[in-house]
Amino acid sequence: MSSFFKIMIVLLAALTFHTIRSQEGMVQIKGGTYIPLYGVDSTAVTIADLSMDVYPVTNADYLEFVREFPEWQKNKVIRLFADGNYLVDWEGDLSYGKMLAAEGPVTSVSWFAAKNYCECQGKRLPTIDEWEYAAMADETTADARKKESYNQSILDWYEAPKSLKKKVGSTFKNYWGVYDLHGLVWEWTMDFNAVLISGESRKDVDKDSNLFCGSAAVGASDLMNYAAFMRYAFRGSMKANYAVKNLGFRCAMDVPQI
Amino acid sequence: MKNSKTILILFLVISTLISCNTKKKDDLATISYQCPMKCEGDKTYEAPGICSVCKMELKVYEPKIKETNEISDMSIYNLPSVWTNQDNQEVELKYLQGNVVVMVMIYTSCQAACPRLAADMRAIEKQIPQAGKDNLKMVLVSIDPETDTPERLKNFAVENEMNSNRWVFLRGSVADTREFAAVLAVNYKKISPMDFSHSNIISVFDQGGELVYQKEGLGVDHKKTVNKILELVN
Amino acid sequence: MKTYQFSILKSTRLLFAIVIFITFLSCKNNKKEESKFTSSMEIPATVEMIATLTSPPNVPPPTGKRKAKKLIVDMEILEQEGEMTNGVKYVYWTFGGTVPGSFIRTKVGDEVEFHLKNHPDNKLPHNIDLHAVTGPGGGAESSFVAPGHEKVFSFKVLNPGLYVYHCATTPVGMHIANGMYGLILVEPEEGLPDVDKEYYIMQGDFYTKGNNGDRGLQPFDMQKAVDEKADYVVFNGKVGALTGDNAITANVGETVRLYVGNGGPNLVSSFHVIGEIFDRVHIEGGSSINENVQTTLIPAGGATIVEFKVEVPGTFILVDHSIFRAFNKGALGMLKVQGDENEAVYSGELRDDIYLPEGGGIQKMPSSDALPESEIPAKSMAERMEFGKQTYMQTCFACHQAEGQGIPNAFPPLAKSDYLNADVNRAIDIILHGKTGEITVNGEKYNSIMTAQTLSDDEVANVLTYVYNSWGNDKKEVVPSMVKAVRNSN
Repeated sequence: MSSFFKIMIVLLAALTFHTIRSQEGMVQIKGGTYIPLYGVDSTAVTIADLSMDVYPVTNADYLEFVREFPEWQKNKVIRLFADGNYLVDWEGDLSYGKMLAAEGPVTSVSWFAAKNYCECQGKRLPTIDEWEYAAMADETTADARKKESYNQSILDWYEAPKSLKKKVGSTFKNYWGVYDLHGLVWEWTMDFNAVLISGESRKDVDKDSNLFCGSAAVGASDLMNYAAFMRYAFRGSMKANYAVKNLGFRCAMDVPQI
Repeated sequence: MKNSKTILILFLVISTLISCNTKKKDDLATISYQCPMKCEGDKTYEAPGICSVCKMELKVYEPKIKETNEISDMSIYNLPSVWTNQDNQEVELKYLQGNVVVMVMIYTSCQAACPRLAADMRAIEKQIPQAGKDNLKMVLVSIDPETDTPERLKNFAVENEMNSNRWVFLRGSVADTREFAAVLAVNYKKISPMDFSHSNIISVFDQGGELVYQKEGLGVDHKKTVNKILELVN
Repeated sequence: MKTYQFSILKSTRLLFAIVIFITFLSCKNNKKEESKFTSSMEIPATVEMIATLTSPPNVPPPTGKRKAKKLIVDMEILEQEGEMTNGVKYVYWTFGGTVPGSFIRTKVGDEVEFHLKNHPDNKLPHNIDLHAVTGPGGGAESSFVAPGHEKVFSFKVLNPGLYVYHCATTPVGMHIANGMYGLILVEPEEGLPDVDKEYYIMQGDFYTKGNNGDRGLQPFDMQKAVDEKADYVVFNGKVGALTGDNAITANVGETVRLYVGNGGPNLVSSFHVIGEIFDRVHIEGGSSINENVQTTLIPAGGATIVEFKVEVPGTFILVDHSIFRAFNKGALGMLKVQGDENEAVYSGELRDDIYLPEGGGIQKMPSSDALPESEIPAKSMAERMEFGKQTYMQTCFACHQAEGQGIPNAFPPLAKSDYLNADVNRAIDIILHGKTGEITVNGEKYNSIMTAQTLSDDEVANVLTYVYNSWGNDKKEVVPSMVKAVRNSN
């Protein structure tokens, strides 16, 4: 009997250890309800508490991953899961080379690769709604979207070329303690392919109300949030096996309900 | 003794927790060897050595190569996900291999687009001559696996006169569904507890599972789709 | 012998001419057959050809008499830093590396296979909406391309004209504001008439975080764009893209054709060439032609073709005639024309003469029934002085100067003037009726003309009182009755 308890304790400890190990380098984001640029019918979306990586995944992190899982190495990956641009700037299967920094964000990775990476850490990719929720914070507020300066500074970053050469942590630390959501690279989300812009969303996807020209304004909740428009447009242009130079990722995790 | 057994189990649990890809680890743990000339068919050995028939040195046997023998890099049969069909059987996509596959993603509670997509699928199937139908599978994948139980799928099949073995209905986990949609470039979003917004794409795969043709839209002309299928089945 | 040879030569020529004539006729016949197509859609496009694309201000060679072809267009999207004006940098998003994007020249019936490439270093997805395309989104949907990818789509050009193309990815205004627009020309079957020079110009408005002229890398300012408060309005993507060494050129006697577009995103252009009149304007880039136009309107997302013959040399300034845009925001270009002067058309300066204004009285509006301010009588000496000064400053000041000193050899002085002080009635008379001929004032001879001033009796009285009581004169007071007497004496 007592030994059973001991085992239970060990098991619990192991579980806790596992969770802690996974949560290293993550911060907790308190859930809430907000209105994303493109939401559901009722517009407001509720996010449960989650943990999110403080930094995007770096080249060094990713190198470790492909060492362990060779099927994700540059020349071994299959085309269904990553197109020809996969890790295009890496020197070889097990080297990102001298041009890229160890602490630079890993880019040119496909959605499959990003998803697998996170799963192998016991994590997952954040959803669009989660990502947008975390990213609407500036240094001091959880929802800075109405601050004109916030919106404009994100736009400035999106326009400035070559920001992907910076190291992770080089932009600001937001309200939740997360770095680099803006100003470094785009990031994959779990349901990037949920970007559907439709006037009457219960109908089939009406391709006339799409991301182009004025029609993107249909159904959007905030016409001044150009930065968000750009992110949604970017996601809309992606396919799961695309590897893009300015696109990296970070992982997230559910927070166990106690 | 009993305790040590439990501890062993505990260890297994922990190791499972810590290493995500246990399957991979297992593969690594059990490297097997095989005669390069396959003198004894698919027989494998657990240690290196020479073939007992032709005396050639045994080579490391890589099961992946064998598994994917017939399929290319771009084949959807590379997806490892496991699905449930309308008869509540667990299947891998791979079991469709060798057939020309026409695929669409729907959900059964859908009122607007899906009935029309189903009608399009029926219309396409009707245009394929009997001889060509032997190696044809019409596959409908649910984008709402939480609602679409095998029973519901079965009912949908009956209602829509899709009740032959040529018609396959699949549901998977939410994550696998998302992944599968990503492969098909089908975008969808849950917009209310009962409704999804989704792209209307009918896709045609060849016998090796490579995507060869896609047509997007509702009630569009499917002549090209049919021609592509005919090209493949003949 | 010589004449014989000559005649042979002559007859050969004749034969040659006949052959050419026949060929020409048969050509014409072919032509007729070609134009039997009842719709542009029926024109076959069989032979493949790679389209020549050009950067502004150049345009590809005319399609001339060629038949419709399958035209391969290769266009690369580049997001790159450029210079808006001295010291001001801007990140442009471009079709083909320039603003406006490369010029595409096609002919009715051409089947265009469009390859749109989004450079892997780019941050954003893009697409292209060509106004020349008949189809959903003008190609926007089929061309939506992620960084590091290439999309291919094809279309048949059915309507002749000059069309804008632009990126239509959300947020569309920002993509256009950053320079993603250009022109595609669809020539009619027979081609456009030959001209000597062709150029490609496109106007655009830009919105920067800093004000016009603020140095450094200037990011796009969304709020200014929404408010339509442009910091720069320019031709061909930057201040000075068409001035100085970058000016477009022509020679006297040549016909110039400008393909002018307006990318916007917000402003409508009042396109004008200072010192030229457009002989022909293809209104809004379409088929209808207007002649002898001074300024033509180009809507945002629209274009026009203007043609004019340059008859005289000089620098002709291209402007958006919403003129503050030209002088303060950059909407200025130059056409430099070289060649011989043609004084019959434009003489240049012939003379520089002194211009003598006739005085303020001439501007008086006679129609008013109410008593004008000038006729309100002065009630005191002080008022008379005050009113008199006003009249002096309006009417007399230009010639006789502020201190009555006059201008030597032209206009006699009124200050300490012996001539003035000698005779009040003469002074009144001169104001009422003018004075010509030689007079001597303070020992200096003057021979010029003073015209009669249309002033009321009160005004004359006031102004003279002011003059007599200023600058060392003998302080007479002139009253209206005195003026009236002089007026009636003649």
